[in-house]
Amino acid sequence: MNARAASVTLPKLAPASAPRSLPLAALVLLLLSLPLVNAVAPTNSAVHVPDYLVTLGGKFLCYATVAVALDLIWGFCGILSLGHGVFFALGGYALGMYLMLSIGEQGVYRSHLPDFMVFLDWKELPWFWRGFGNFFFAAAAAMVVPGVLAFLFGFLAFRSRIRGVYFSIITQALTYALMLLFFRNETGFGGNNGLTDFKHIYGYPLHEASTRLGLYAASAALLVGTYFLCRAIVRSKAGRVLRAVRDDEARARFCGYDPTRYKLFVWTLSAVLCGLAGALYVPQVGIINPSEMQPSNSIEMAIWVAVGGRGTLSGAALGAFLVNGAKSWFTGAVPDLWLFVLGALFIAVTLFLPQGVMGLWPKLERSLRRLRRRP
Amino acid sequence: MNQPALRQTPEPAGRSGRESSISGLLPFKRGRGGSVDRARHDALTAGRKAVLCVDNVSVSFDGFKALDALTLILDDGELRCLIGPNGAGKTTLMDVITGKTRPDEGTVFLVGDLRDLTQLSEHAIAELGICRKFQRPTVFAGHTVFENLELSLRGDKSVFRSLFGRLRPNQREVIERALETIQLHDLAHSSAGALSHGQKQWLEIGMLLVQNPRVLLVDEPVAGMTGQETERTAELLKSLSGERTVVVVEHDMEFVRSIANKVTVLHEGSVLAEGSMNDVQNDPKVIEVYLGEAPC
Repeated sequence: MNARAASVTLPKLAPASAPRSLPLAALVLLLLSLPLVNAVAPTNSAVHVPDYLVTLGGKFLCYATVAVALDLIWGFCGILSLGHGVFFALGGYALGMYLMLSIGEQGVYRSHLPDFMVFLDWKELPWFWRGFGNFFFAAAAAMVVPGVLAFLFGFLAFRSRIRGVYFSIITQALTYALMLLFFRNETGFGGNNGLTDFKHIYGYPLHEASTRLGLYAASAALLVGTYFLCRAIVRSKAGRVLRAVRDDEARARFCGYDPTRYKLFVWTLSAVLCGLAGALYVPQVGIINPSEMQPSNSIEMAIWVAVGGRGTLSGAALGAFLVNGAKSWFTGAVPDLWLFVLGALFIAVTLFLPQGVMGLWPKLERSLRRLRRRP
Repeated sequence: MNQPALRQTPEPAGRSGRESSISGLLPFKRGRGGSVDRARHDALTAGRKAVLCVDNVSVSFDGFKALDALTLILDDGELRCLIGPNGAGKTTLMDVITGKTRPDEGTVFLVGDLRDLTQLSEHAIAELGICRKFQRPTVFAGHTVFENLELSLRGDKSVFRSLFGRLRPNQREVIERALETIQLHDLAHSSAGALSHGQKQWLEIGMLLVQNPRVLLVDEPVAGMTGQETERTAELLKSLSGERTVVVVEHDMEFVRSIANKVTVLHEGSVLAEGSMNDVQNDPKVIEVYLGEAPC
């Protein structure tokens, strides 16, 4: 046994499934780029994707980005956030403020102020709206604001070693508290109605199909970028440390790693990615209001990840598409049933598919192999 | 629990650990003197190749003397077994050496280094090369054997380093050598959770080995092992000594007999006898202590 052991050379650390997932990735890229054919194909051609589907697809891409970012912390570091909606919404608000100011004097009241401020009889722009007239400032704020909030919140929570379900509950409280804050007119973000009636983004009219296509492309790029960024982190040594923290925090600390720093890093990064997704989401749906911060929204995000497969980044994205696809169909066909379906889905996944849809893959493979072996 | 006499160190990691490790490097310290008397150091280690000294250490829990003026000198590269009836102070001694328990009196020091280890945090002591393996195996079950060893390597443990750092060839070599020592080379890429109880224990010893310790403290390594696993563990521990000092606490006399070149018998917190297994077994004091349960 000893002689054999000595002759064994260690294989590379990369998982064996890497080449197999290549065709899958190609397929995904193809699907992602399909609506972009619209840019050249005439409106009546067979490959032309209807405009409403482009917007819907763009929305889903933003959701999928959130799911991947959420999976990074939940699947790989064991932090279940039930408040990621707040980071998504803050990113959305940041860009929404830019879109609001770029309306200029084309609003209902023909004022340089956003309509809701005129309505509230405000005479000038509040200080925290300053700078948001600049697109790049707003885009930076869409990352920085959620990032700073997440950093402060995470620092306090992780330093006090708040874990597990207690952490999840506090994130629910966080999103709820911010929702109440944003509901108030005095806060200065349009209160109940939020920000809407957007006209242009960076000079391009939002109602045009080509602008929609551009936003779709940006969302697709964000999803792909997020996926590869998270994948690189998960596959680095830091990813192995994160899993160690997830599985046995005390032992990881004993090995010399400071779990607080690792958690804080992925937690903040995840919030920044959510902020970006929110920033791309708002121009596509045309509105951002405090209901995005409803606790139930954040819970839904966790369900996307659970359905797709916690602990696999592609699974999380897939889950976002599946659940939201089902939601689109159900809320159109039988709107009253959707919440029941969502609940049933969550229970079914927890009971029968603890590894989500991605967990089906190895099972399928195994039964296929068994079938093949049988004559 | 109310233990006023015993000063426990705070949680191992976090800010407190770093603070005390910094204060351990300072030439002066608050409270009791942090360094060992040079004359005492020389007197204890004269004429032998010592590596670690426990000098006159006493610990009491609510008046019960767990350790009573205990002095123990470990030689470089030896394999020492600590035996003794329950409550003799074996585990407390380990706790004192690793900094988990602070003694009321006495000092612990590495030879050639006048710092008093009883004043350092657990973390700082581990960094000086004194590692301890607990009874229950604790490995990362979701990681492979190789990854477990990689995570335990010495070096920069910051987020930045982990994100961008790569495994250097010499680090890979350290891991491979450890894999060979613990004979898990064939299982390097299987999940640690799938290992048998014995293999997990070996893996944990390997996780300590890659940190290149000078002194390895092993708590009941063969508890719950099969006969064959026990044999291999004995061989493993024997192969480790020589390069480093290994201290084994064990109840299994058969096992102690098979590995030890020197046995220390503790009783009521102090050393009752010390010597080869044969000498110790024939010592009338030892026989009296083990009254009724003859040491095999």
